[in-house]
Amino acid sequence: MTLKNLRRFSQTLFLLLFLWLFLQTESRGDNELGYPVKIFLDADPLLWITTVLASRSFYGAFALAGAVIVVTIFLGRVFCGWICPFGTLHQMVGGLRRIKTVTGRRRRNIAVELRERLRRFLGGRPRAGPAVAPGRSPARGEESGDKHPEIRTDRDSGRQDGKNWGPYRSKYLLLVFILVLSVLGVQAAGIFDPLSLLVRSLSLSVYPLFSYALRAVFDTLYHGHVPILSNGAEIVYDSLRKTVLPFSQPFFFQGAAIGVLFFFLLALNLRERRFWCRHLCPLGALLGLLSRFALLKRSVSEGCNDCGRCRRDCQGGAIGGKGRNWAAAECMYCFDCDDPCPQNAVSFGFSSRPVPHALDLGKRRVLGAALAASLAAPLLRITPLAKAGAAEPELIRPPGALPETLFLKRCLRCGECMKVCITGGLQPTLWEAGPEGIWSPVLVPRIGGCEYRCTLCGQVCPTGAIGKLTAADKAVVKIGSAMIDKGRCLPFAHHTSCIVCEEVCPTSPKAVWFEEVRLRDRRGREVVLKQPHVDLSVCVGCGVCENKCPVLGRPAIVVTSLGESRSPDNRLLLIP
Amino acid sequence: MKRRDFLRKAILTGATLSLAGGIDPLLALVEGAERPDLAVVRGPLPERITRAAVGELGGMGRFVSRGDIVVVKPNIGWDRTPEYAANTNPGVVAELVRLAYEAGAKTVKVFDYPVNDPRRTYRQSGIAAAATAAGARVSFIDERKFRDTAVRGELLKSWPLYTEILEADKVINVPIAKVHGIATLTLGMKNWMGVMGGWRGRIHQRLDESLVDIARVVRPSLIVLDAVRILVANGPQGGSLADVRRLDTVVAGTDQVAVDAFGSTLFGLKHDALGCVRIGHGSGLGNMNLSRLRVRRLTV
Repeated sequence: MTLKNLRRFSQTLFLLLFLWLFLQTESRGDNELGYPVKIFLDADPLLWITTVLASRSFYGAFALAGAVIVVTIFLGRVFCGWICPFGTLHQMVGGLRRIKTVTGRRRRNIAVELRERLRRFLGGRPRAGPAVAPGRSPARGEESGDKHPEIRTDRDSGRQDGKNWGPYRSKYLLLVFILVLSVLGVQAAGIFDPLSLLVRSLSLSVYPLFSYALRAVFDTLYHGHVPILSNGAEIVYDSLRKTVLPFSQPFFFQGAAIGVLFFFLLALNLRERRFWCRHLCPLGALLGLLSRFALLKRSVSEGCNDCGRCRRDCQGGAIGGKGRNWAAAECMYCFDCDDPCPQNAVSFGFSSRPVPHALDLGKRRVLGAALAASLAAPLLRITPLAKAGAAEPELIRPPGALPETLFLKRCLRCGECMKVCITGGLQPTLWEAGPEGIWSPVLVPRIGGCEYRCTLCGQVCPTGAIGKLTAADKAVVKIGSAMIDKGRCLPFAHHTSCIVCEEVCPTSPKAVWFEEVRLRDRRGREVVLKQPHVDLSVCVGCGVCENKCPVLGRPAIVVTSLGESRSPDNRLLLIP
Repeated sequence: MKRRDFLRKAILTGATLSLAGGIDPLLALVEGAERPDLAVVRGPLPERITRAAVGELGGMGRFVSRGDIVVVKPNIGWDRTPEYAANTNPGVVAELVRLAYEAGAKTVKVFDYPVNDPRRTYRQSGIAAAATAAGARVSFIDERKFRDTAVRGELLKSWPLYTEILEADKVINVPIAKVHGIATLTLGMKNWMGVMGGWRGRIHQRLDESLVDIARVVRPSLIVLDAVRILVANGPQGGSLADVRRLDTVVAGTDQVAVDAFGSTLFGLKHDALGCVRIGHGSGLGNMNLSRLRVRRLTV
């Protein structure tokens, strides 16, 4: 097996493992989830380092992330090329683009094409010159382009001179930005980190989309009563429900926006292969920095005739010059340059010889990124929500969540908790937690309450932002308090019996209790009613009452974060 | 051939042979005359008292015919383990499944529309495992299978009901006896909330009338009230073992009103304590006058 095929095998294996674990991030009715669904996030050194820096505390097992660091130091960015499931997806989408390249005519730069067409449309003349010639496109980066139209590079193969990987520096600057933010106490890595981004996008958007589409097809067949076909479809549907479909259709706020972002990032591969990995990925940047002294190196023998074939196939754009130059920090060790070399001149081997092409980010740029981060950190914090006593009432955090300030430093916004939430009530925030807390989990009881005996969110949280609770611990953790709106409650305002909130209240004794009252209706007849009350010392704020309240729209019993155990400020009772 | 299959076949063959005899139909008639209206059986093993109770009523063969599709409808409403007495005892459910198969049922289905998450209630109640082991087809509620059904009741004119229970040949109701905030107790008729779709919480506004209306549509052939453990406070989902009483009893009958009337007495209440019992009696659904019913008590 060639190294390239071995790499493909590894990528497939890890992608399937990732997706399988993703599918297991769902309750089967047991108390324990039973699968280590977060191991990919555990193995992410960027998430570990930034979380430790931001929260100034160690957490969890460092073993996997440490292993990735060690492997990277010795072998380079093999994680990107061999393991990272997001990278594999990019490579797959990038492959769509490559087909066009090999079949002959190379794609022209879409932007240039559009500009040209627009110009033509407006009556101008097309711009002459090689800038629009097939197979060539103008270089990116500030030193090239309109100012120096004579300098042209192949976008797919790094910079022409191969000495300066300038076009790829954006990810390093993003990394600097994220690292400085974490030093200042803001955890922003989870937003940009590829694994966190992938879990979040799949959980909140792609998987719900997939489920919705499949269900729509099978529901149509089911209700259509097509002979034979409908019955056969039900059998297929049954087996899909047991394997790849979620137990119930997930719905998430911002699912559409998160999905658009995800598909946009994938579509960037059509513009430039592995665009995300080359330009944006902060984890790739971190691993790139770690791999500067990697022992596994690419070498080109004397047989090289400068055909440049290897450059064309390079996934990371790590090959410069005519194929002889190589940037260790950009190489993902895909070995795509190894096989196709017509002269068989490319080989990989261990050597301690330093690589001549050092990464030059530019002091000003690094300083700029650091400065931007030091402005961003306080900017994100100037929200009145941070004032004592001004907590957002709707910000009901999952049970076991750390106090808000620490929670935000730990929470990666990976969406694992929302994926696993058995009622689907955990939703991504938008502004409820301030700009710093975007996409962190919030319980929306109207969508789903917190299942009283379920502790799954704490089991899947990779950083302990949501603590792992035992069933006994969870039973006494308050995430908020329910209060009754007497203006809407049926027995209070409308002389109608109800008490659904009391029925579903899961605590023992029930936090919702009722008082039997005798009232007169408009005709003067006596009616006996049970009016609900909430015992705040017992209520844990699970929100099942709000969820099941038959007063739809604005329910007559509403949970707010008031009284949550984790907060020293957001209290109500003298003796809780 | 597995041992169970062999036994089943042997029993069936025996039953068929004996039916061919001349005086058996006569004997059956005589037995019918002495058959109790309610069988109340006490004993330490849920499976055994269930089998005995059904036997007292004439055996499962009286209720289930060969080739029937049978629904056994327990209460799997809450995410609680069996000792908390929030769901029907899994042993009682499994034994009814076995009895139905022994009587020749083609398929026995077990399901409920729980209040808590179905995955947790099915698993934690122990019912999914026990019923599956007994051969039942245990399934989660499929929202597509609720159909707006004409109820033509005193109060409810129509409601989305679960088609699998409407289309079944025979229905066996197997509720658990618990206290309940608005209904006072939840016994047999209250268990029909588990086949109602839509915003069923709305029926709490006039619960008793609604329950009787639904009970009229979903007519069970047999009701087995599980009182192995009963919940005497903080119902219907409990949560504390202090609120559980062990009665080691099941009550079996064919009259929904009679079973619920008897069930009230287990809690020290009068037979007509429940609104749905009174309304059911008044509208001819059944008989709540326990003094006029043949109640056979047995300890096994």
